[in-house]
Amino acid sequence: MAPMPLEGIRVLDFTWVVAGPVATRILADQGAEVIKLERKPGPPGSRQTGLQGDLHRNKRSIAVNMSHPRGVDIARRLAVKSDLVIDNFSARVMRSWGMDYASLSQINPAIVCVSMSGLGHTGPRSNYVSYGPTLQALGGFTMLMAEATGEPAGYGYSYADMSGGYTGALASLMALWARKRTGQGQFVDLSQFEAVVSVIGPALLDIAANKRDQTPPGWASQEGPAAPHGVYRCRPRDDGDDDRWIALSVRTQAEWDRLVAALGAPGWTADTKFRTLYLRMRNRAELDAHLATWAAGQHAEAAMELLQRAGVAAGLVANGADICARDPHLRDRNFWGTVTLADGRTTHVTGIPMKLSATPGAIRTPSPEIGASNDYVLGELLGMDRAERDELVAAGALWP
Amino acid sequence: MDAEGALAGLKVLDLTTARGQFSGRLLADMGADVIKIEPPGGDHARRIGPFLDDRPHPDRSLFFWFYNLNKRSLTLDLRNPRGREIMLALARGADLVIESFAPGEIAALGIGWKELRAANPALILLSIAPFGQAGPYRDFAADDTILTAMAGMLYVNGSPDRPPVRPLGLQAYHSSAYYAAIATMCALFARDRDGRGQWIDLSMQEATVSAVEHVAGSYFGEGRVEPRRGTLHWSRYFRVARCRDGYVMHCSLGDWTSLVEWVAGDGKAQDLVNPEWEDVLYRAVHAEHLFDVLDDWVKDYARDELLDRAQTLRLPYASVRRPEALFDDEQLAARGYFVAVEHPELGRTIRYPGAPYLFNGTPWRVRRRPPLVGEHSEEILRADLGLDPAEIATLAAEGAI
Repeated sequence: MAPMPLEGIRVLDFTWVVAGPVATRILADQGAEVIKLERKPGPPGSRQTGLQGDLHRNKRSIAVNMSHPRGVDIARRLAVKSDLVIDNFSARVMRSWGMDYASLSQINPAIVCVSMSGLGHTGPRSNYVSYGPTLQALGGFTMLMAEATGEPAGYGYSYADMSGGYTGALASLMALWARKRTGQGQFVDLSQFEAVVSVIGPALLDIAANKRDQTPPGWASQEGPAAPHGVYRCRPRDDGDDDRWIALSVRTQAEWDRLVAALGAPGWTADTKFRTLYLRMRNRAELDAHLATWAAGQHAEAAMELLQRAGVAAGLVANGADICARDPHLRDRNFWGTVTLADGRTTHVTGIPMKLSATPGAIRTPSPEIGASNDYVLGELLGMDRAERDELVAAGALWP
Repeated sequence: MDAEGALAGLKVLDLTTARGQFSGRLLADMGADVIKIEPPGGDHARRIGPFLDDRPHPDRSLFFWFYNLNKRSLTLDLRNPRGREIMLALARGADLVIESFAPGEIAALGIGWKELRAANPALILLSIAPFGQAGPYRDFAADDTILTAMAGMLYVNGSPDRPPVRPLGLQAYHSSAYYAAIATMCALFARDRDGRGQWIDLSMQEATVSAVEHVAGSYFGEGRVEPRRGTLHWSRYFRVARCRDGYVMHCSLGDWTSLVEWVAGDGKAQDLVNPEWEDVLYRAVHAEHLFDVLDDWVKDYARDELLDRAQTLRLPYASVRRPEALFDDEQLAARGYFVAVEHPELGRTIRYPGAPYLFNGTPWRVRRRPPLVGEHSEEILRADLGLDPAEIATLAAEGAI
């Protein structure tokens, strides 16, 4: 097997919840040795399947009590043998343990520390307690994700955890890259809040430059005018699921002509009020009504195939079963990963959305139970013998 | 220490269109020399609004500005044989080429992986495409909207009894761009060991699937198809509530005792004083009732009053703010998040959203405002390829640049 890109990079991982583990999952998928330092008992629920299985695959786990001075000592010894120490606590936590960059750089000058706190380590609100959804609310996201009535409509998920996680992985790699040139580690103070507001960057410039108050865009396209542009309800599936929709996005005149042809050029498409993009935008309510009537007689999958074969940007509004079990393209690309659990069952996990031709990443091991790697990390990496570890367990610094 | 930026010394040729352009900015921000290669007349993204003062012009697109800060611009007609030669000559001195054309298009232009690798075996090529470089949907057309649909992101946005609501911002493009930048960094680490470049196939659908935290996990873990839930977060710990002057976001994580004491002090706790609510999982299971009780409690509070008091008690509540408020946000101001970028030819200085991180050794900084169409063509051809003014004039006359 070809070596993976990040082989040889060791990460001491203090992250928890979602954003931090997303960052270290990306590093682990590409071959970094990620050692999660955790406490027992962990949060309730399975670690092996679902989101937790997705987040922690390919990682190792040790169970260390950071409230015990000898637990902190273990963590510091590991930091000496690591390239990256990463956390998503607020500023005071790592400092209180002596695990902040100022302390660690004295025992390992090449260490890179990345802290992915909610609002950053500096500033008057650095001590705010936050989660992905609350950062989206503070960032203007929740306000702009609204129904036509202005009533907030979303999110039911946390994009903030993803933008924070991706930024964390990228920042880690960039700091490690700089170290190759300078020989020096550094501290990266990442604000998940700042990461998520960048997703509405052009809207922020519109506020800054044009002083325009933003309104929820709803189904207005956010990358130039488009009409039709929206979702249209389709025929129920044969299994009775009637929450089926097709999304359409038509911009240029050529795309419109292809749509008309694919629909079989019904009479309404020749109406002069739909002749140009400008007119289609102006008369979009009527246009949407025609398309809704058409879609109601179609299965969403068949409508997508028909329109895509004609060169129209159309997509099934896929649900969990569509993407995980039915999408032929994701299956053909072998996107979903498979891991074998401790009890011999296998489960699928979210795959790796980047294929490097020579050194691809790989999904190798399932999410570890807390403390599953105590033997390897404490025994092999730190050279502790059994007696010493037993004594640390007895002292309350380690969980077996 | 080194004030050049973490990626100083890297040379990137950025052929991307709107759907891939953020990846180059992520690299340019940290000091890579990113040359945006645009067709004569400028990239299509320059025609996407909003525009400065609402006056459409290729050099006034705020959409283009946000995604192209810190890059240089070279106009090059890749369909012209001389344009192709210049592209290959530049590739000889580059570390990365990033492109987001339809699959097969760069090969048809004679600047595909085969030609690029022949020109420079250490080169890394990153191809960003809606459905990647292979598979049955390879040639399907998609913009951000269609990608959010086909990745399972759109379906879970909005209320269960209403049509899905389009996610805000270009989340499919952004997710793909982050993965793209990360993938190039990984390929650089690999190249550092063996000196060899490689070709990265990045599927935007896959990147977007990966960005919806719960949909696949619920399906594989519990066999559940995640529904739309309105503003109730899938974890069932968060929901939006109306208050006196707007909206706030509830959060039932955090110190329950403090929250209940506060609510009870206002005479609004109802059954939340019962001990079963101390269990965080119980709160998730009975989230609808919990938030209904709390909705009645917050309705007379002003949102900032509630936020301040909640945070004092270390309760992770939030107010639902307008994006305009970010420009007056003390926290962002203290961290220098917004940065003034001068546009001298327009006589304007505009506050841009800056970097989401502070690197203490190799800091982020604005090195140049977004480029005008072809602004650096001559400088790049002269300094990077050593062409003389007469040769450059000939290329311009032939329509290659």
